[in-house]
Amino acid sequence: MSANLFDQLIGLSAGVLLLTSVLLVWKRSLVAAARLLAAQGVALASLVAVIGVFDHDRQLVAVAGLVLVLKGLVLPWVLDRSRIRTGAVREETPLMNTTAALLALSLLTMLAYLVSQPLRVLAPGPTTAAVPVGISLVLYGFLLLTTRRHAISQLVGFLLLDNGIAAVAFLTSGGVPFVVELGASLDVLLVVLILRVLTSRMTVKFGGADLDDLTDLRD
Amino acid sequence: MGVLVLVPLTVCLALAALTAFLRTPALCRFSGLVAAATVLASGVALSAAVLAGSIPTAGSLLRVDALSAFMLGVVGAVGLTATWGGLPVAGAPAHDWMYSTLVTLFLGAMSLAVLADNLGVLWIAVEATTIATAFLVGHNRTRRSLEAAWKYVVLGSVGVAIAFLGLVLLYAATVAAGRPTLSWIALTQGHLALDPSLLKVAGALAVLGFATKAGLAPMHSWLPDAHSQAPAPVSGLMSGVLLSVAFYAILRVQAVVDPVLGAGLMRGLLVAAGLLSLTVAAALIIRQRDLKRMLAYSSIEHMGLLALAAAIGGTLAIAAALLHVLGHGLAKSSLFVVSGRILAAEGTTQIADLRGLLTRRPVMAVPYLVGMAALLGLPPFSLFFSEVAIVVAGFQRGLGWAMAVAVGLVLVLFAGLARHSASIALGPASPGLAEPDPPGRSAPLVLALGSLAVIGFTAGPLPLLLSQAAAVLVGAR
Amino acid sequence: MNTRALVLAAVQVIVMAVLSPLLVGLMRQVRARMEGRAGAGVLQPARDLRKLFAKEPLRAEGTSWVMSVGPVVLVASSALVCVLVPLVGTITFPLVPDDLFVMVSVLLLGTVALALVGLDAGSAFGGMGSSRHMTIAALVEPTVLVSVYALSIPVGSSSLSAIVHGRLVHPSSVVAPVSLLALVALFVAVVAETGRMPVDNPSTHLELTMIHEAMVLESSGRDLAWLELGSWLRLGALLGLVGSLLAPWGIASSVTPLSLLIGVLALVAKLVVLGSALAAGEVFLAKLRLFRVPELLAGSFVLAFLAVTASYLVVQA
Repeated sequence: MSANLFDQLIGLSAGVLLLTSVLLVWKRSLVAAARLLAAQGVALASLVAVIGVFDHDRQLVAVAGLVLVLKGLVLPWVLDRSRIRTGAVREETPLMNTTAALLALSLLTMLAYLVSQPLRVLAPGPTTAAVPVGISLVLYGFLLLTTRRHAISQLVGFLLLDNGIAAVAFLTSGGVPFVVELGASLDVLLVVLILRVLTSRMTVKFGGADLDDLTDLRD
Repeated sequence: MGVLVLVPLTVCLALAALTAFLRTPALCRFSGLVAAATVLASGVALSAAVLAGSIPTAGSLLRVDALSAFMLGVVGAVGLTATWGGLPVAGAPAHDWMYSTLVTLFLGAMSLAVLADNLGVLWIAVEATTIATAFLVGHNRTRRSLEAAWKYVVLGSVGVAIAFLGLVLLYAATVAAGRPTLSWIALTQGHLALDPSLLKVAGALAVLGFATKAGLAPMHSWLPDAHSQAPAPVSGLMSGVLLSVAFYAILRVQAVVDPVLGAGLMRGLLVAAGLLSLTVAAALIIRQRDLKRMLAYSSIEHMGLLALAAAIGGTLAIAAALLHVLGHGLAKSSLFVVSGRILAAEGTTQIADLRGLLTRRPVMAVPYLVGMAALLGLPPFSLFFSEVAIVVAGFQRGLGWAMAVAVGLVLVLFAGLARHSASIALGPASPGLAEPDPPGRSAPLVLALGSLAVIGFTAGPLPLLLSQAAAVLVGAR
Repeated sequence: MNTRALVLAAVQVIVMAVLSPLLVGLMRQVRARMEGRAGAGVLQPARDLRKLFAKEPLRAEGTSWVMSVGPVVLVASSALVCVLVPLVGTITFPLVPDDLFVMVSVLLLGTVALALVGLDAGSAFGGMGSSRHMTIAALVEPTVLVSVYALSIPVGSSSLSAIVHGRLVHPSSVVAPVSLLALVALFVAVVAETGRMPVDNPSTHLELTMIHEAMVLESSGRDLAWLELGSWLRLGALLGLVGSLLAPWGIASSVTPLSLLIGVLALVAKLVVLGSALAAGEVFLAKLRLFRVPELLAGSFVLAFLAVTASYLVVQA
């Protein structure tokens, strides 16, 4: 693979990651969220595969397969099953309206560029140039977690956060050691499954998965 | 020696698997207890080995120095107190199999966290504790425990994910330095040329993430809910030792970052977090109406004190912090065990509804008062000595102003806790049947509180272990 | 240089004056056919113009000279935009820069003229249309600026012909993700600027849903003809801009009859494709409620902004 092609493919995957995240914040539809997360998983897997092929690292290409299955198929599927169980289709009562959230995205992107400056100065190259995209995803995930009031939206925010951290991991160092990668993937899967069970219990007990109903415990 | 390192992990895993598959009443009743006892025994054995001079390892991922051995002992001791004290009464049915399996896995995950040399494995173990305790917090299946479990899982996982981002950036720094590694010993002793600005971001994120799990403000909002809604023995384990394991992770990260950046960044972060935690706890303690929630805020206070001790640094402060970890663990778990018994006997943990416990149920009120005295830092209990040592070290190392503020806040907390405890224990005896407690149930409490009274004074292996453990961290800088 | 640029400018204005009504007719015809109607034919807008030019304008009492001058200003600004945007060729006047900011300012001039015409009659609908129009303009101008700016960063100049020429010379920059992102944002901004669905329904007859139509409600005869022609010229020019940026091939770099012919034919092709695509899309879209329009425009602004930041990182790396 030539360096030029590598640059372009990295740029393309990073661009798709960024675009899907913007759409996740833009659209309040929870049905679309699962599909966007699946697309994001595919983009992330292709990013990892491109890095693996360029570095001739077979283990990394295998990890790309793992990422594809986990983040492209399994996690969006579990998310969608949770959403169907709660019966929700849209996020009805966000704390921040869409226009303000979109403008906040611009600010968060600038913050991501600032934060990743030391890394880009340390090891300049096409992969580190795309690190701000990963950090933007982390910040967008935070935005979703803090401004959305539905349990499924918070789950989406958590998955977005996790995708961003995975992107940063792969872009900065070709991933963490395989054991750690495996453990981290398993942890994310288990957390999502736990949240799915809690969401269905919430639907039974509260009649919906709106977190505004959870206000009993306060000081 | 390497085998000994693997013993607590394999025993916990095996017991959990057996309980999950076989589900016999004996297993359901005793698996947590046996696991905790094994962890304590391994902790003691490994401490002896470390004091004798060896550093047991198992593969490249696990490594036991004095600090790890001590923390393993703490996990075992607090675990034993909580599980033994939380055993159901002889005639009553045992906990269900899922509860016992999860408690055993919880103990195994905490043991893995303190035995790990690889920071990635440490992270996995901390995340595993969140997973193991998620359904334990929601065990009661009430609306409130569901709310608490949701907040706990979401905030805990987000915090740990931030810590993972920090570790990822740390790994990237090692890659740029030419030797990719996440091994703590390589990071501290390997003289790697780690980039300072990248390490700044990585260290700050990692500490922020683990501080969320340790319940330090401002990321503490899950703690009062989760610790008050979980079943009492689980609350004892979580307050007593899970927070301390997260604190241990912060100490390990601090030891990696400080040699490169100097003590300034970590010190600033930890002083801010510590003082903020103390302020939050002091401000809200008097408003508490629920006994377990009050104990949870007390945990936030003690985690704030530990953060301040870590910020101070130096052998005295770190050794005092480790002693405080042990003391707080034993005291808090005993108090939670007692509160669980109070809940079972009275049917409520609302402070307003519990009156005159000393006259009505002395078997519970006395351990409660003794444990509360220990928690408040009264002599002869070890928390008195550890808190004094922390304050002295703070004044010695230039953080006198922070110590003055902290002492003031601790006094406010003292007043709040004492007031609540007085209203629970004292007062006229309302008419009610006082059933005698079955014999043998006070053994774990006596053991825990008795050792608290003693370890502040004893010479012998414990101070030696503490100083060696502190030397592991301080010497690494 | 001056004469060549003059020739090119004249060619662009005349071609666009001829093509714009045909473009609008094509879009209406595509929409009609897709909706199952026979449609009025591609030449109908041209026939409407011919009819309107022959009629005397009726101006309401209380209107001022704005009513007669405004439409002419709109047409003049649209024609000037046709000169500035590299539609057929990339040769520019040395004294009149075809800078991005100049183009946006000229567009704004036309926008303001149209808004004033809407206000001049003093009717409620006209005022409502004008205020909505200016609200959208306030949100669209930054997006147009930022998205074209994102495309100008690799070239290093904000001159439109330099940008198009740069994209012609380096085909890989056309498919770069940054460029695609900026073009998507620009397309959304163009849709909003020219009053197409989902921002404004050009064929609505319900006054409360009108934006553009409300402003021309009081105009008639020649005034209306100028207003319509001005709006169509803007649509043609902006779609032509998107086309030139998206597919710069065929643009003339020299003023020879052959290259001009190729340029015109390429322009026709691009306008046909983009216009049909836009019209087909309109069939499937519903008009957005007015308070949702800022969301859409904020979203396109964010995309443009991300394109700018991303192109800086590409340049640095």
